[in-house]
Amino acid sequence: MIEVNDLTKIFRKPIRGNGLSGMVKTLFSRKYDEVRAVDGISFTVPDGEIVGYIGANGAGKSTTIKMMCGILTPTSGSVRIDGVEPYRKRQQVAQHIGVVFGQKTQLWWDIPLVESFKVLKEIYQISDADYAERMDFLGEVLDITRFLTQPVRTLSLGERMRADLAASMLHNPRILFLDEPTIGLDVLVKERIRSAIHALNKTYGTTVVLTTHDMNDIENLCSRIILLEKGRILYDGPLSSLKNRFGNIKTLTLTVPAEIKAAAAPVLSPEVAVSEEDGKMVLRFDADRVALEQVVQYAFRDLKAMDMKIAEISIGDVVKTILEQEEAEHAEKV
Amino acid sequence: MLKKYRPFLRAGAIDTMAYRFNILVWAVITVCQVACLVFLWLAVYRSSAGGMDAEIHGFTYREMIAYVVLTTIFNFVTFNNDTLWNINTDIKKGTVGNYLIKPISYRGKFAATSLGSLLTMTLMFGLPLYTAALVTLGSLGFLPDLSFPAFFAHLGLFLLAGLCASLLNDVIAYIFGVLCFYTSSGWGLNSLKETLVAFLSGTLLPLAFFPAGLREVVRWMPFAGMSQNPVLILMMKYDLAESLRCLAVSAAWIVLLELFAKFLFSRAVRKVTVQGG
Repeated sequence: MIEVNDLTKIFRKPIRGNGLSGMVKTLFSRKYDEVRAVDGISFTVPDGEIVGYIGANGAGKSTTIKMMCGILTPTSGSVRIDGVEPYRKRQQVAQHIGVVFGQKTQLWWDIPLVESFKVLKEIYQISDADYAERMDFLGEVLDITRFLTQPVRTLSLGERMRADLAASMLHNPRILFLDEPTIGLDVLVKERIRSAIHALNKTYGTTVVLTTHDMNDIENLCSRIILLEKGRILYDGPLSSLKNRFGNIKTLTLTVPAEIKAAAAPVLSPEVAVSEEDGKMVLRFDADRVALEQVVQYAFRDLKAMDMKIAEISIGDVVKTILEQEEAEHAEKV
Repeated sequence: MLKKYRPFLRAGAIDTMAYRFNILVWAVITVCQVACLVFLWLAVYRSSAGGMDAEIHGFTYREMIAYVVLTTIFNFVTFNNDTLWNINTDIKKGTVGNYLIKPISYRGKFAATSLGSLLTMTLMFGLPLYTAALVTLGSLGFLPDLSFPAFFAHLGLFLLAGLCASLLNDVIAYIFGVLCFYTSSGWGLNSLKETLVAFLSGTLLPLAFFPAGLREVVRWMPFAGMSQNPVLILMMKYDLAESLRCLAVSAAWIVLLELFAKFLFSRAVRKVTVQGG
């Protein structure tokens, strides 16, 4: 179980002057800028849950992950992994967590992948039987067997990421932290990685915390999401209720005869917004307030629709809307 | 518990093997330096009041030349250490995080690596170099009689002292490396460390040449144990009692410095700001 309590991280950055005179000045007097990367957040992740940790660049996601796995020490507040603070008892916690930073590899660059795994086997003191079992499992779910004997530097990004993931799972961690595990990968590799995370969670009950910018990752993997902005939590809860935050919004995109115009169309209800986009008619409404059936009938009968596409609002749209609202509110205050 | 550091011990040994060509080039440069030092000391003795028979601060010219040669070999074999630079790189590239999330101690990793390196250096270079030097110097009469069993007792103590010297060097390099967390640059710290060690360990000049007050202080500092003392133990300039005192001082310093390193790291690690991501 992960307990995060009023966690805050403030980075102090020296303000450097411009040019030569500025450089000389900073030698003698240092002024610091304080950046609150993480600003008093609290949440709890029970065992076996997969949590999506999302937010814009610089929202504080990676900083939180780094505090949860013991790399950074919080300025105030606390993180507890199964009751232990990782930045105090680093080695004790490290034995039970796995971490992947998508941007950097943790494998030894020049030696064959399998040698990296053998080093990890010794570091984590994995028994021969466990090691064999894990290699079987990981070889299958991540499809890494083919390039085990290649040096890590010769691997493609997709292969390297799968290798890194396998390395983080080798010691059967109770908790897995994944910081952008699908960054820069193609659709097939992303699929592979998602199914591996699923398999791990199902087979071993591993808790997973992952950050991503790919909303498909979130929709495919996470039962719960935490949305972060400027170091604060904007939303924490199940995926479904975030989706319905603005109602059960559906969008109908219609191909209509040229003589039907959005402005002149007969009105069904003020609840249904009608607009034109790229020569198509777009109806947007809350399906909990206006029956879908009614709108579909209206589209065929009154708008003479020839073709129709029904779409739900995507999680990406919701997040975008929330972040935009937040930005607008912030701008007003300032 | 120590088993998990085995891969680092191995890596240290293998890496050193891989760089044997570099080391060979370095060896050639070192030979030139030794030649310069030998001629320098010969000139010093020749122009001294007593001439070539003089004994300066307890050293005859024969002993001084033996000292210069053996100290150079000793430093060459024992101080093959990249700890400071590796920490500096870990901080600059942000790879320090890779070790912080593993169930190993950062210090232990470096200690194991440099022990592995010491092992390779001793077997690959130490064994032939010491043998050649001892045989040559001995047959020229530059060393006292290398007879059983006294010499073997000294040889054993010398090997122990060499291990202590390597551990001392590594922990000092580590401490300076950890200071890179504060300065974000290893260059100045490395120069400081090198100069400090070269001066206070007796590599530049035997400590007997220091003024009396300073000599007494340096006798109880860790640096003498890093170069001068092991060599003087081997040359049998120290009797058994003094040799054992040197070993005890070194061992005590290893413990003290390791404790300090642990304390320093636990503070410095809070300063970590892993770059990027």
